[in-house]
Amino acid sequence: MQSTGAIVAEQLVKVYNGKVKAVQGVSFDVPPAQVFGFLGPNGAGKTTTVSMLSAGLRPTSGRAVIDGLDVAKEPERVKRRIGVIFQESTADGDLTGRENLEVAAGCYGLSRAEGRKQAEMLLEHMQLGDAAERYAKTYSGGMRRRLELAVGLVHQPKILFLDEPTLGLDPQGRAGFWGFIDGLRRDRGLTVFVTTHYLDEADTMCERIAIIDHGEIVSTGSPNELKDRLGGDVVTLTTADGGRDLTEALRAVPGVSTVQRQDGRYRVKCSSGETFVPRAVETISKAGVGVTGVTVKRPSLDEVFLEFTGREFREDEGPTATDRAVMLQRVQGALQGRR
Amino acid sequence: MFRELAALTRREYIKLARNPQAIFTSLLLPLLYLILFGQGFSINPAALVTPYCNLQCVLNSYFRGAPSYYSYFAAGMVGFVAVTASLFLGANVIFDKLFGIFKRTRGTPAPSAAVFGSRLIAGMTQPILLALFVLGLATVFTHVPGLKGLSITQSVGALGWAEALAAIVLLSGLFATLFLTFGVLLEVPQTYFAAVNLINLPVLLTSDALYPWGTMPAWLKTISQYNPVSLAVNVLRETFFGTAAYPHGYGPGVYLLGLLAWTAVLVVIAIVLVRRALRPLD
Repeated sequence: MQSTGAIVAEQLVKVYNGKVKAVQGVSFDVPPAQVFGFLGPNGAGKTTTVSMLSAGLRPTSGRAVIDGLDVAKEPERVKRRIGVIFQESTADGDLTGRENLEVAAGCYGLSRAEGRKQAEMLLEHMQLGDAAERYAKTYSGGMRRRLELAVGLVHQPKILFLDEPTLGLDPQGRAGFWGFIDGLRRDRGLTVFVTTHYLDEADTMCERIAIIDHGEIVSTGSPNELKDRLGGDVVTLTTADGGRDLTEALRAVPGVSTVQRQDGRYRVKCSSGETFVPRAVETISKAGVGVTGVTVKRPSLDEVFLEFTGREFREDEGPTATDRAVMLQRVQGALQGRR
Repeated sequence: MFRELAALTRREYIKLARNPQAIFTSLLLPLLYLILFGQGFSINPAALVTPYCNLQCVLNSYFRGAPSYYSYFAAGMVGFVAVTASLFLGANVIFDKLFGIFKRTRGTPAPSAAVFGSRLIAGMTQPILLALFVLGLATVFTHVPGLKGLSITQSVGALGWAEALAAIVLLSGLFATLFLTFGVLLEVPQTYFAAVNLINLPVLLTSDALYPWGTMPAWLKTISQYNPVSLAVNVLRETFFGTAAYPHGYGPGVYLLGLLAWTAVLVVIAIVLVRRALRPLD
């Protein structure tokens, strides 16, 4: 059956050198105009999957379909319909922001006039108008990232692939970046496939999320669905009489999955904290004990990530890709100076 | 294809124009050779005259008919700079790979012919201009008192200049293609420079670009005859100094054909290798 998804992965497999299984049978379907998050620990297969979907890497087996086009059969047509923001910095430091955009426009077959028009519009949108004539190597990390996003959008793609797009950006830069992406999705129906290290971003920006680990998708769903799969909310109750054990009474409340008692406090996992708390207070009061404290906590994506991958999510694992690129650019500058 | 090629070629020219150090150092090498080596190194042809070989015979057998070693050497320098000015072309590709710029270009639908062709067009410009700079400067030196220079002894017509220019363009294109192909295929700068040295020095040292033809041992003369640098500089020498030293009687066109054959073979090999390396999906 032909899928109508903007991005379709069917049993994608990538094996490097016949040995290293980077991606092992990944399947998903992203409908048009959706922001789809792809999460996973380092080395889980995120970038390899993005490369296979964006016509950068041939799958060992399986099929990728972008906007109805088979990526393996029509890679160049696919490239005209997608924009890709790579994990590493790819702005050409020796060109100005405007020149970077005009060259990219030409690479997508736009005329000089169309390229100039698009460059002008995107520079303004990205708040890079004042820096348009400056060399990209003089840009801050955030400015470079915005320039790279502009480059990815210069040919007005229908689908955007973002591989760790906000890595190295400060919170303000991240918020601005996502505000722009959200605007594009709403105004132009852009489909966005994003890998990110920032779970808060995935939580707020993505309509659906897939978690990949060891090259396999371990869970898919909306952020709330994924959290619900952990068993709902966690309620912590503190009672006036810490000596009395009310575990069985609390376990009998509808919607409760587990109750743990520790140091006179009860940690209760339940389907909904909002409905559980009044019932729990009533149950405890009927037992003649007072309630002295209640906290309700929704599971975060960090806990979801921990549950499905068995690993804590670590945001900082050495210098960012942008940092590395800037360092390399400086080395290149030094080398050119010597030649 | 044309728009992609034009955009990427423009990028190469912008980068070239913004690197004055590279332009300066590329001028420095031929200047040093033309001034220090050329003016300092001297072979007096009169001293080589024997009862069996008069001065013209000496000039023909030692210097391919050039009136002096400097004239012979200046024509050879044209070939020399066409090779040396191409050396860094592939390194720029490797640096662009390291900095993600090549990856981004490959992420676009720009065909591999545009990606390679843009670098080839811009990459050939510098060697061609340098070769013309060498020719011009060596000719100017002839008119400067106290300096040796290039003396063109034949009346060179439009066809002759066209042949000379074709030789320069073909030689520049050949080595630009070679070194750019290395750049596309290799990933590490150190490996690239090792490969370049492996080609560069043997090619130059087995040519008659700088060695006087008459002093070369027979085996080296045999190798030199098929060397693309020799083929190019002998188009210039036969055009500038006449056919007397070239008894084959076919004129400079035969060297041009040899050079064309070299270039065609290399371009075909490069197309196969580069298309494989830059195919849309790895």
